[in-house]
Amino acid sequence: MRRLNAPVLVIGCLLGAVVALGPILWALSTSLKPTSRIFAVPPELIPSEPVPDHYYRLIAEGVHWAFLNSGGYAMAAVALSLIFGVIAGYGLSRYPVPGRQLILVLFVGAMAVPGFAVLLPTQIMFVELGLYNSWAALPILYAGHVLPFAVWVTRAHFNAIPRELEQAAQIDGYSRAEAVWKVVLPGARPALLAAATFGFLHSWNDYVTATTMIDSPDKRTLTVALIFFQGFHGRDWGALMAGVIVATIPPVVMFLLFRKYLIGGFSDGSVKG
Amino acid sequence: MGTALVGPALVFVLAINVMPAFYGFYLSLRRVFFFGDEGFVGLQNYTALLSDPLAWEAIGRSLVFSFGALAVAVPLALLSAMGIRRLGRWGMVLLTVVLVPWAMSPIVVALLWKWILVPSPGGLMGSLFSALGYPPRDLLTDPVLAMPTLIAIAVWRNFAFATIILAGGLGQIPNDLYRAASVDGLHAWESFRRITLPLLMPSLLIVVSMLTISYFNEVQVIIGLTAGGPIRSTTTLAYQLYHTGFVELDQGRGNAIAIVMFLINMLLIAIYIRILGRQPGGAT
Amino acid sequence: MRLIHPSRRAVLQMGAAAVFAPAIARSASAQGLSGTVRIWTFLSAEGTSPREVVLRELIQGFTAANPGVQVLVEPQPFQELETKFVAASAQGRAPDLIWMRDTFLSLVHARGALANLDDELSDSFRAEVLPDLYQVFANKSVFDGFRTSLPLWPSPAQVIFYRKDVLGEVGLDAPPGNWDAFVPVAGQLTKGDRLGFGLPSNDNSVSSFVNIMTGFGPGIFDAATGRFDVTGPEAVAAAEVVRQLVANGALSRTLLNAMGDDIQDQFAAGRFAMAQAFAPRFQQYRNIAAAYDPAQLSVAPWPAFGDRPPAALLGPYWTVGLSARSENRAAAVAFLETLYTPAASLQWSRVAGLVPDRRSVQSDAFYASPQAEVIRIFAGLLDSPGALTFPQNLPDITRVFPVMNIALQELIGTDEAIGAILGRARASLGW
Repeated sequence: MRRLNAPVLVIGCLLGAVVALGPILWALSTSLKPTSRIFAVPPELIPSEPVPDHYYRLIAEGVHWAFLNSGGYAMAAVALSLIFGVIAGYGLSRYPVPGRQLILVLFVGAMAVPGFAVLLPTQIMFVELGLYNSWAALPILYAGHVLPFAVWVTRAHFNAIPRELEQAAQIDGYSRAEAVWKVVLPGARPALLAAATFGFLHSWNDYVTATTMIDSPDKRTLTVALIFFQGFHGRDWGALMAGVIVATIPPVVMFLLFRKYLIGGFSDGSVKG
Repeated sequence: MGTALVGPALVFVLAINVMPAFYGFYLSLRRVFFFGDEGFVGLQNYTALLSDPLAWEAIGRSLVFSFGALAVAVPLALLSAMGIRRLGRWGMVLLTVVLVPWAMSPIVVALLWKWILVPSPGGLMGSLFSALGYPPRDLLTDPVLAMPTLIAIAVWRNFAFATIILAGGLGQIPNDLYRAASVDGLHAWESFRRITLPLLMPSLLIVVSMLTISYFNEVQVIIGLTAGGPIRSTTTLAYQLYHTGFVELDQGRGNAIAIVMFLINMLLIAIYIRILGRQPGGAT
Repeated sequence: MRLIHPSRRAVLQMGAAAVFAPAIARSASAQGLSGTVRIWTFLSAEGTSPREVVLRELIQGFTAANPGVQVLVEPQPFQELETKFVAASAQGRAPDLIWMRDTFLSLVHARGALANLDDELSDSFRAEVLPDLYQVFANKSVFDGFRTSLPLWPSPAQVIFYRKDVLGEVGLDAPPGNWDAFVPVAGQLTKGDRLGFGLPSNDNSVSSFVNIMTGFGPGIFDAATGRFDVTGPEAVAAAEVVRQLVANGALSRTLLNAMGDDIQDQFAAGRFAMAQAFAPRFQQYRNIAAAYDPAQLSVAPWPAFGDRPPAALLGPYWTVGLSARSENRAAAVAFLETLYTPAASLQWSRVAGLVPDRRSVQSDAFYASPQAEVIRIFAGLLDSPGALTFPQNLPDITRVFPVMNIALQELIGTDEAIGAILGRARASLGW
């Protein structure tokens, strides 16, 4: 049976790979064509004379600042959610917490509530709090979205680290906090990386939150800046596709680097609890 | 001590994820238009919403979109999970490859597919059509084809995520069971039906509930590709919320939709948590 | 009270100068200006499109003459300018100058976000420039004596772009100016993959349906309410025109929610013989023309019903206002005024192909040159007997275009009765 299925399997896999990556490669191809060749008939799958013009255009229009903003927001959100998440995950794992079940349910629920469902009241609330269009707005919101996952996944890993390790470290003269720092956190490294990667992807990839919370061009994220290229003058497909590539590289690199932890985090976090 | 450690995260999550829902409920009882609060109107936003056939149509389309996408994504994820397990090392490579779209931003995915689907002979899909002898066709402006096209793109974006969880679930099924089955002379289909499916059911349920929530709330791809059209054929409840709240700026009514969305999400999440709780070793 | 802004003194000086010394030339009195002028527009100061180039030149000229002033352009998505401005205004962080569509003026004005320009503009500007603008636009910004904004780039807005080469196939130079004649011609022009007519029906600030209705003239808008009769005889006649265009193949039943951008992309690829398009994009259309000779692109008004003259609905168009909360009014107004100098008008025309804001500039030799051919056509449309604008108080402005677009999509894509479709649109609007 195994032998019989092999060719089908290989063809299926190749097809899967083409369907998954083909569109992205087409974007890359478009982004390297001179504007006059973009609508060429029949389409050139590989640009006959690749030019970097569209990438220069992104820089000329200041898109690199938006790129840095996106990175900064994502990292701030990851830091915030990890700090709060690790502390809470540790507390839930090691201490009796009143209403523990309820809190866990709340975190799972919050993990599933998409930010979009409450975006409209959040926008009006942020306007009234003066957080709208501030540098803090997006890191706070993204951290709030990612935090439940961070708590959930770190707690699962802390549970798996034997108390005895910590106690041994404490007998060696470390304080409890030091013991956590030296023993528990390194042990939970996969969980931290999973939460960090997830947090980065979530923050970097967002569009609706960023476009409804920020108006100053200097605070804009990459996704919002990209939408400008299908603005008032019609769509500039070359620049748009260059933007698609630029916006895709960081999350895909992050994902490739840490996929093991992320995949592990998802299957542990959800299946095993 | 435990409360002190958990407290900050709890407050943070309540403030960002739960409090807006209450504030949204307050706003949904008022007439708010173009950032101007015109006063308390009671349940008027809700009665107007629930008596509007268009709102019910939007809910119906949310169901079509969610379950349509599920019906494609879950079998596809299951097939690829089984293929990936069988491929071993290469399977992980393939899994990584098909996960790349999932790592992309939804709005970027929308832009990318908008370009692929440009109904021009110079577009990728247009040239595929003409290679097959058809005139270029705009899949996104055709009232019959727009929804299936969106579903296909939504599946393209994230079915691989379901594959991870299913592959994890498959890994937990002892190989001995299959060996025993082949000794008993069971066919591939029968061993799938009698061993794989029942043992994989927990993972499948989790995948189904997570994807349902994700598809039910999908909005960025719709904003980027069809803006709810043509003839409302892709106006799901999530898009209706975006349009009412952020385009028409009828923020009172938009908040009423947000609350309805929130409650439906709560229902889906309650089901999800129940499923999770029934797992052996499940924490809740 | 807010902190007194450092430029407050300059403002007072400017005010004194304006009151007591109207004879002082503006360039001289502007010497004392300082501070930052923030502008929200859809143009970017770094952009390369024609209007962005001109804006940058004007800013450079202004800051060279006023070294103390920094002009900061903060581009916004063009559909969100009014919304973001009102939100920002409520929070006290509104920009000094704001680009708005004329159709949103009454709503933004009702939120108290705009200053009365009649109190701010210099005497010389009011005496010389205001009368030289297109009055139909300039007057539309005045609400009960309150000048909310100044119109910029007078334009016939949504018009019909057509290919002369294709119309030549049926022996015509231009599309007929009457729907009875236009419909069969549009049908004849559909050939192979090419469609006779393209209508965008998914933009939130444009409604082809209303454009078709304007063939009945300005009477379609109720003087008191600003509404049009969604189910009245004019609307039904417009709907019948759409149905005829579908029946003879001029409009495609599968091209339903195209946006203006989609129509533009596809026009370049030769998909349409004629299409509704935004007049100021004419140059861009020519630049990207791929499947035909760009010189064949031309412009026509909308056909009319009966014996009426062809219609030109002059809107939505751009206007520029001053924030009621601006703390650097003197510099902001001085910059606003520089957008309307004869030199600026000539630049907008030369570089961006726009009709000049200052009518007197049209006597310049440039406007007789072949390059200015399209500007002459646009200017002709602005002065044509069928020209009209949206009423000052068109209600439900955030909803009327999406609702009418869906009605249009239903007219094109379904066989449902016209009365049912229009009735639903009317109910959606609550009119």
